[in-house]
Amino acid sequence: MHETQQLSLDLKRLIIETLELEDITPEDIEEQAPLFGEGLGLDSIDALELGLALQKRYGIKLDAESEETRRHFASLAALQSLVEARRVA
Amino acid sequence: MQPLYLEDWRGWLPSERGHTVPRQRQIDARPGTSLPPMLRRRLDEPGRAVCDLLAALDPEARHPLIHASRHGDTRHTLAMLEELIAGAPLSPTRFSMSVHNAVLGVHSIARQHHRPLQALGACGQEFEALMTEAAGYLAEGHSAVVVVFAEGPLPEAYADHATHPGHPCAVGLRLARSGETRLSLDATQSTAAPTPATVIDWLAGRTPLLARRWRLEAV
Repeated sequence: MHETQQLSLDLKRLIIETLELEDITPEDIEEQAPLFGEGLGLDSIDALELGLALQKRYGIKLDAESEETRRHFASLAALQSLVEARRVA
Repeated sequence: MQPLYLEDWRGWLPSERGHTVPRQRQIDARPGTSLPPMLRRRLDEPGRAVCDLLAALDPEARHPLIHASRHGDTRHTLAMLEELIAGAPLSPTRFSMSVHNAVLGVHSIARQHHRPLQALGACGQEFEALMTEAAGYLAEGHSAVVVVFAEGPLPEAYADHATHPGHPCAVGLRLARSGETRLSLDATQSTAAPTPATVIDWLAGRTPLLARRWRLEAV
């Protein structure tokens, strides 16, 4: 599998496992759809949980308060760009 | 004390060791049907069962709700303590759910319940505490109160240190100011420490007395 596709699938699985989305499969998560609010429907606790998971898995530290973090969490595609640019693990 | 009348009840016993819930008093064998998936994921099976009991006994979200548990969600609390010892960061989700009123909170969001909510633990006197609090709400003028008493699984580490039914169980009662079945109390008898499973046995008619002093009386 292409590296980008593999990362996309890894991130989808990370989201599903970390956030215990029992009824969601990787195919249900669209690359450009919003992860929070409408779209997938995640909430603020999920954002913190996801931030912790990114730190554990990829060594990426984010500031929970910053506007930049908000942009990184806008969609799966945005999250993927973040991981590609800043991963250390 | 304000007299208490039993209007309806439901029970949940996933591993029925010597206890059973009469068919018409059961909830769905896979708890959580009263919750949308995005809220359901936040609760474990006992928490989901509590929400289903509450939804069955208060379908229109009209009554005050009281949830009692002696031990609460010990499994996740212990897991968090172990993470702290290991110096690992805590899960924000687990931390946010590690309060005694978390289950009622999820239920109230799911069902748009805006009446009083109360969570309590009472070192084995949960049933007495539930009755006292329920009597208070009824005396204040509420027509009915729904109380739930629940215990989740107990981690092995606590097995020798805690009084626990030995398996997850939950029971819910809707109590009212009048009705056909009265809960009569012999206050001269000191109380025992019933578990949700023994409350189910009593409600199902298998034991006449609960905690040596509560009896169901047809009026």
